[in-house]
Amino acid sequence: MDKNFKEEFRQIIKFEPPLYKQRHQFVKDLVEKYKPKKVADLGCADCSLLWMLKFCSCIEVLAGLDICANVMKEKMHTLSPLPVDYLQPSERSLTITLHHGSVAHKDPCMLGFDLVTCIELIEHLEESELKKFPEVVFGFMAPSIVVISTPNSEFNCLLPRVMLYRHPDHKFEWSQAEFQSWALETARCYDYSVEFTGVGHPPKGMEKVGFCTQIGVFFRKCPQTGESVQSEKPMEAVYKTVFKAVYPSLKDEKYLQNAVISEVIFTAQIIKHRLMSKREEYSDDPERKSKFQLSMDYFSDYLGKLVVEKNMEPFVSGNVVYIPLTTIFSFPKVNRLCGTFEKLCKLIAGKVTLSSDGSAVMFNIEHENEEN
Amino acid sequence: TIGLQVSSGLQDLSLRDRGGRRRDFHDLGVNTRQAMVHVQESKTGFSGKMIKLTTNHFRLTSRPQWALYQYHVGYSPEMEARRLRSALLFQHEETIGKTHAFDGSILFLPKKLENKVTELFSRTRNGEDVKITVTLTNELPPTSPTCLQFYNIIFRRLLKMLNLQQIGRNYYNPNDPVSIPNHRLMVWLGFTSSILQYEENIMLCADVSHKILRGETVLDTMHSLHSQVGEERFRDACAKELIGLIVLTKYNNRTYRIDDIDWDNNPKSTFRKSDGSEISFVEYYKKQYNIEISDWMQPVLISQMNRKRGNVQGSVGLIPELCSLTGLTDKMRSDFNMMKDLAIHTRLPPEQRQRELGRLLNYIQKDDNVQKELRNWGLSFDNKSVSFTGRIVQGEKIFQSGAMFDYNPQFADWTKETRGVPLIRSMPMDSWLLIYTRRNSDVANTLLQSLFKVTPSMGIHMNRPSMIEVEDRAEAYLAVLRNEVTSDTNIVVCILSSSRKDKYDLIKRFLCTACPIPSQCVLARTLSKPQTIMTVATKIALQMNCKMGGELWSVEIPLKQVMIVGIDCYHDTVSGKDSIAGFVASLNQSVTRWFSRCVVQSRGQELVDGIKACLEAALRNWSKWNKSLPSRIFVYRDGVGDGQLNTLVNYEVPQFLDCLKSIGTDYSPRLTVIVVKKRVGARFFAEIGGGLRNPPPGTVVDTVVTRPEWYDFFVVSQTVKNGCVAPTHYNVVYDTSQLKPDHVQRLTYKLCHMYYNWSGIIRVPAPCQYAHKLAFLVGQTIRREPDTALSERLYYL
Repeated sequence: MDKNFKEEFRQIIKFEPPLYKQRHQFVKDLVEKYKPKKVADLGCADCSLLWMLKFCSCIEVLAGLDICANVMKEKMHTLSPLPVDYLQPSERSLTITLHHGSVAHKDPCMLGFDLVTCIELIEHLEESELKKFPEVVFGFMAPSIVVISTPNSEFNCLLPRVMLYRHPDHKFEWSQAEFQSWALETARCYDYSVEFTGVGHPPKGMEKVGFCTQIGVFFRKCPQTGESVQSEKPMEAVYKTVFKAVYPSLKDEKYLQNAVISEVIFTAQIIKHRLMSKREEYSDDPERKSKFQLSMDYFSDYLGKLVVEKNMEPFVSGNVVYIPLTTIFSFPKVNRLCGTFEKLCKLIAGKVTLSSDGSAVMFNIEHENEEN
Repeated sequence: TIGLQVSSGLQDLSLRDRGGRRRDFHDLGVNTRQAMVHVQESKTGFSGKMIKLTTNHFRLTSRPQWALYQYHVGYSPEMEARRLRSALLFQHEETIGKTHAFDGSILFLPKKLENKVTELFSRTRNGEDVKITVTLTNELPPTSPTCLQFYNIIFRRLLKMLNLQQIGRNYYNPNDPVSIPNHRLMVWLGFTSSILQYEENIMLCADVSHKILRGETVLDTMHSLHSQVGEERFRDACAKELIGLIVLTKYNNRTYRIDDIDWDNNPKSTFRKSDGSEISFVEYYKKQYNIEISDWMQPVLISQMNRKRGNVQGSVGLIPELCSLTGLTDKMRSDFNMMKDLAIHTRLPPEQRQRELGRLLNYIQKDDNVQKELRNWGLSFDNKSVSFTGRIVQGEKIFQSGAMFDYNPQFADWTKETRGVPLIRSMPMDSWLLIYTRRNSDVANTLLQSLFKVTPSMGIHMNRPSMIEVEDRAEAYLAVLRNEVTSDTNIVVCILSSSRKDKYDLIKRFLCTACPIPSQCVLARTLSKPQTIMTVATKIALQMNCKMGGELWSVEIPLKQVMIVGIDCYHDTVSGKDSIAGFVASLNQSVTRWFSRCVVQSRGQELVDGIKACLEAALRNWSKWNKSLPSRIFVYRDGVGDGQLNTLVNYEVPQFLDCLKSIGTDYSPRLTVIVVKKRVGARFFAEIGGGLRNPPPGTVVDTVVTRPEWYDFFVVSQTVKNGCVAPTHYNVVYDTSQLKPDHVQRLTYKLCHMYYNWSGIIRVPAPCQYAHKLAFLVGQTIRREPDTALSERLYYL
């Protein structure tokens, strides 16, 4: 399962970018193409593929499974949310879970995935495990797409340092024919179609040996309802969860509320600031002094083409500035966050100081004048 | 080939073992006490009355005879892959045990294996037989530096297990942030922690830490700056606002310092990756992190790497859009409202601070995984913080022209007591200038009237100044100064309409270098409130008097023939070029007059090189005043960063000694060098009436939480209105004074009374604060050495 380890053997044939990166890129391209929401990586090892996938914006659930908990634990913290993820929560939700367990065992936590990847996994399986593997992945998990990659033994003659297998832990390495026959049989058995490809092109004149890494991409033929699977097989959990990270997301009311409050107050501050500086300019003009009305042009750059209605104009009364919520709602960022005006009112209720009828944000301007 | 991967925590450890360069933030292994015979037995003082204190230190308890065993692990045949090495070794868990820390070659175990050399045999799945030789290389006692670092690593592991986020050196809880939407700020509560060998125990010193994060990207900030200042001043404004700030990125968990802004490049520009290939920022972020950069016109931020990280050395380019700001800018710091809003959340009073700490300890006690990890290593922490007794030394008497005052120890301030009492030495204002703009002519008159009211009782003789109205332009001020200042001018007072620095800088620069005359700048705003004008005028009169060479008050200094030196550094974070070392030295017995010099040193260099010249000049001046050389010299050295103690001891102290030697063969004064540190993790709380309070000024701590290898002590000298008072740490690194520790402590506390810009006790000895003021003025404003004609006055106040 050590993907990096093998690269050591590329003495004569040097892949650029390195082969393990090409495999990861292959998976990433597949994700970009089919936009799966739930992706599981079996034999996730040091989580480097998962780490790469967490940046794919279509994915909402990521899971990793490995037989060795220590390897996963080493770098699992790279899968935790970053401080910035908390500062600027994203639109999508994302949960990453790591499980300790074997691909020869079924666990309900692996149900309902769109894509399951098994990168350089099967060659590490003992014969008994390999036998159970198709039933677990194709029969039980039954995702829409399965990707399986494994070394192509025909290529080994080009890797001079490889004696028997590319890695001491490999139980076997298959030729193209061996892999394809296994894959076709598996696909037939579980009603999948399979396409063969690979990464690591052979040198010129040696094309017949095939890719250094052979890949089979399996597509489930008939759409399956997840429900029936689960009700048929009420299962006990056999995997042990070693890591779980829930990313902050605007789908979570708590983060949405914070974001909205912050944006509302910030927007209101901008309007107030402009209103006040405008007011100062006109302060010599006695007619303007009592109640200043915001001119249309001056924040038109914020409002774009939005029509400013009469009740949207901010105003000053005594030491208090009133900024109507409708004005704030018309700012694109606030608008995008809340969607509806009702939602805006609901989210900021009790958190932002509003006028008595709840229609405007209030600011007291007395203190600030003192400080300036 | 694949190099050995070493987990980051252990890497620090093993690198150190191999003699690699790593900054040791705790200054471990700098043992200065052993050279000072008179404090071998005891370094504690005795005067004052006892006070019961608790602190934020928690005892580390380990089982008896605890030790950490360090093994070297070798493989035959040689195995290169680290994972394979681990896997092969851990096949023998029944021999080595479940608890271990292994980086591929060094193995740490909490228990000792039966034999010094253990041979183990493993078989790879390939059928290859491997001999593993585990050799004991070190038996580390709990107090060894490696062990202490090991504890710190383990503790960090625990914080990580509690899902705290690492930002910089500390860990923060991202789940309950306090947001301050008015200022787009977010405050994360976190903890600083360090485990060290203290006087009798190894203890965890934990403190509450607040991380201020900003909900906007650097690009957002740039946009709002653009709309505020306009195109013309945009780049300058960005440089001023952003350079020196620490940013977090969207894609990794690193912090970077903005050192420069590269306006000639943008996200489409390319940079060289570690493998040597060129790639554009746009392409790189798309490929590596799936991030689309939306603004392709933004500049590139430059961050210098202090330390080699992987293959990247030199500087890295960062995209403003992908960087979030942390911390506060100087502009924000000067925003009164913002600081007020922040203080509510960050200035925790003693009880609340201890409560928050208690929560951390509680998390640690309650988390099963954490407890298991601790148990496996045979470690645990007391959940109650350490209590002990400290001393409150006697308050000082303030002397002013024959009168003597006691101050209320609760406030540590004698503004009221000394009001209306003549100063020790008042300087006449026979010929002086008052410069103001037309708009401020009323304010100027108000100031003048008020000065006439407050100066007589101080004993200051004041004539009417030349009142000069100027246009509100920097050049106009300069022209007036050129024409009007004469050699008889005592002082120049300028009333400025805004806090914009350009006029201030120009005036100060001119009057400190080209035409050395004391000057006083006053913001018109501070004079505009009638209810405070008398207080303000009093303060201005006192400050001006000091700048002209006057003296205000004194405390009793029992030592004779003593010269006190203060040193501090200023680092220019904006232009990032020079550092300034401020140097002040007392001139008289009552330490009321000070000589000053400063040294401009090259980038990032902390330890003062030109110190010899400063000390020589100080000694010359001292002998001019006292007709002899001082027989005792005390150096209070501020501005020494974490991990720089060793360099200070081995490099700077010898410079002092060299200098003294060069004065004459028969001259050997007693020298004491004390490192002053304001930023320390320790906090003390007085147990009063069942609750926790800030300890009163004069509280001295020299037991339990001090370090055995140092001659050190803490003094709480100031008072605070909100939050917790921070004790100042004093580390006597060199001392031939033969004075008792008690006397050094008392002298230190006395000197905290002698800062003339504040009629109260301050946090550090006055010479440190003077040196700080001087370095700050020169670094921020003057940018070169001031004229030596001013060197015997406190012109930098």
